Amino acid sequence: MPSPRDLTRAMLAFGGVLRASGLPVTTPELMDAVRALEVVDLMDRDEVYLALRTVLVSRMEEQPAFDRCFESFWKFQAEDGQGLDGLVSLTPPTLPDNEHGGNPPDAGQEKQAQIALDDWDEGEGSDDEPLEVPGLSNREVLMEQDFSTFPAEQLDEVARLTVLIAKRLARRVSRRRKPTRRGGIVDLRRSMRANLMKGEIIELRRRARRRRKVRLVLLCDVSGSMDLYSRFLLQFLYALQNVFGRVETFTFATRLTRVSDLLRGPSYKGALRRLTEVRDWSGGTRIGEAVRDFNQEWGRLVDRRTIVLILSDGWDTGEPDVLAQEMLTLKRRAGRVLWLNPLLGNPSYEPLTRGMAAALPLVDHFAAAHNLSSLRELATHLTLR
Amino acid sequence: MRAEIKKIQEMMETADYVTDPAIAMSVHLAMTLKKPLLIEGHAGVGKTEIAKVMATMLGTNLIRLQCYEGLDASQALYEWNYPKQLLHIKLEESTAHSTSEKEAAIFSPPFLIRRPLLQAISEPGAPPVLLIDEIDRADEEFEAFLLEVLSDFQVTIPEVGTIKATQPPYVILTSNRVRELSDALRRRCLYMWIDFPGFEKEVRIVTRKVPGVNERLAREISRFMETVRTIRLAKVPGVAETLDWAQALSSLHADHLDEELVAETLGCVVKDADDVKRLKRELASGGIGRFVAAQS
Repeated sequence: MPSPRDLTRAMLAFGGVLRASGLPVTTPELMDAVRALEVVDLMDRDEVYLALRTVLVSRMEEQPAFDRCFESFWKFQAEDGQGLDGLVSLTPPTLPDNEHGGNPPDAGQEKQAQIALDDWDEGEGSDDEPLEVPGLSNREVLMEQDFSTFPAEQLDEVARLTVLIAKRLARRVSRRRKPTRRGGIVDLRRSMRANLMKGEIIELRRRARRRRKVRLVLLCDVSGSMDLYSRFLLQFLYALQNVFGRVETFTFATRLTRVSDLLRGPSYKGALRRLTEVRDWSGGTRIGEAVRDFNQEWGRLVDRRTIVLILSDGWDTGEPDVLAQEMLTLKRRAGRVLWLNPLLGNPSYEPLTRGMAAALPLVDHFAAAHNLSSLRELATHLTLR
Repeated sequence: MRAEIKKIQEMMETADYVTDPAIAMSVHLAMTLKKPLLIEGHAGVGKTEIAKVMATMLGTNLIRLQCYEGLDASQALYEWNYPKQLLHIKLEESTAHSTSEKEAAIFSPPFLIRRPLLQAISEPGAPPVLLIDEIDRADEEFEAFLLEVLSDFQVTIPEVGTIKATQPPYVILTSNRVRELSDALRRRCLYMWIDFPGFEKEVRIVTRKVPGVNERLAREISRFMETVRTIRLAKVPGVAETLDWAQALSSLHADHLDEELVAETLGCVVKDADDVKRLKRELASGGIGRFVAAQS
């Protein structure tokens, strides 16, 4: 029989192997594992496996990695009658190298991204005044013009306008959240306390349910012509960000990249430049795979208070079935799923690409994001119900 | 296999819960290590049932806390009985008691409503089984609060003092993965994922739970369910649906599946209008239809 000290040493070594494979096991868990081994039959490999799995795995997705580690670490030599001493291989085995356990987002990322918009100052004035834009005379035309048709020298100006509209909208939305004195449910606990001296309840204390801010997750197609639309959408949403609890951004063409951190710079222009650097130009869009990667690695960013926005034209070179399956998974977890397709701005467009057709039934709202007025329209859909 | 684990397996079977070594091991460890057990899996695979069976096995009470969005400490832990307090104040109006005496009276244990968590901690006698059902439905704030309660099993009520569990309860948490749970909570718990049962296990469950179903029908039902679960549905049917269906078939005195019977009772298997449509289409187009036809 191995002594508890041997067990402890073995468990600590095994813990190292697990961590290297992306399972964030803690020392208390390893100590529990030792205790677990004391109440199972060490000669029964299946039992050892089940016990360790119960203690050390804490989500289903960790199980395949755990199984591999267990296989390579605990060598069973029951014929030699060595018990657990023989189960332990002293040199840690080579680790499967395809493991990349998604690191939990660190607390710093919880902090809202701060993107200063250099060379742009916030316009004063009431919310209801028309959105006058100095320097751009024909506003209505600009509002309706497709982003892709602006000449290059006008793009900066349009970007500025995007942000202006977003800021106005943000102010309007936050005003709506002001608490009302009569709303909410009666808080009996505080009412009792407040009226204790009076002998009966005279003044009711109320409390409103604290509303958590909605979170946003963006999946932006940055392949080919989509890139331009992605930029405007990003600019728009980042200017709106103080309305949201958190904004997480991912880009994809053939593979998914998390760019939330890149967008967190002092200058938005610099941020967009950095975005260009991470772009993959390998051609083709595999939306289904991108959404699958997102679900697998970042699924935990999504809950029912999360709105997921996908910006893509739906030209998908991947399997439509994969896309449909993954959209279903996403829809189940998320509060709302919005699909933005700039091509929708074209009156003759019909969402007939195979990918689009597969995804459409699983989307809560399907909209264009091809011009300023459609972005403004989009803001009304960025609520949960 | 350890005798204890074998015994748990036997006891679970006696309590009509068809089990497997993984489930028996989790229950064994939850009981011996005294750690909360987090059970995840699709809806209707028997997660909640485990807590019930455990309470039966241990011969203790089952205390259940059903989670929902907006659940807070006053619903989960304790609340003062305000109507009773008000009545008491009214009745005491004419007496000479001072305000502080009155206050002490109405903030004493008789006026305390013990919600499930406090109940589980202050239960006299053998430690109960505390089932925290569908924890993923509660808010993240509640999860943090729960973590605190689960770590030291003591609760401080300002007016009464600190209540500490003499023997911590056995805790079972279940989750349908509606929301991702925090790593802190996960790491504190033992973990078990219950998948849909395999064919043989489902046959055992059906014959066990629905005695009116013969072996042949049980096998057909299980095979059918196995096939249905491979189809992409909005809500994949669990064991609960299998049992509903078996029950329905049994009360129709069916002894085998045929197409007509399946079409009539499809509502037991899938409970979503789109799913019913999709399944009917599959049946008509031969997918599972061929399977049913081959059997009859």
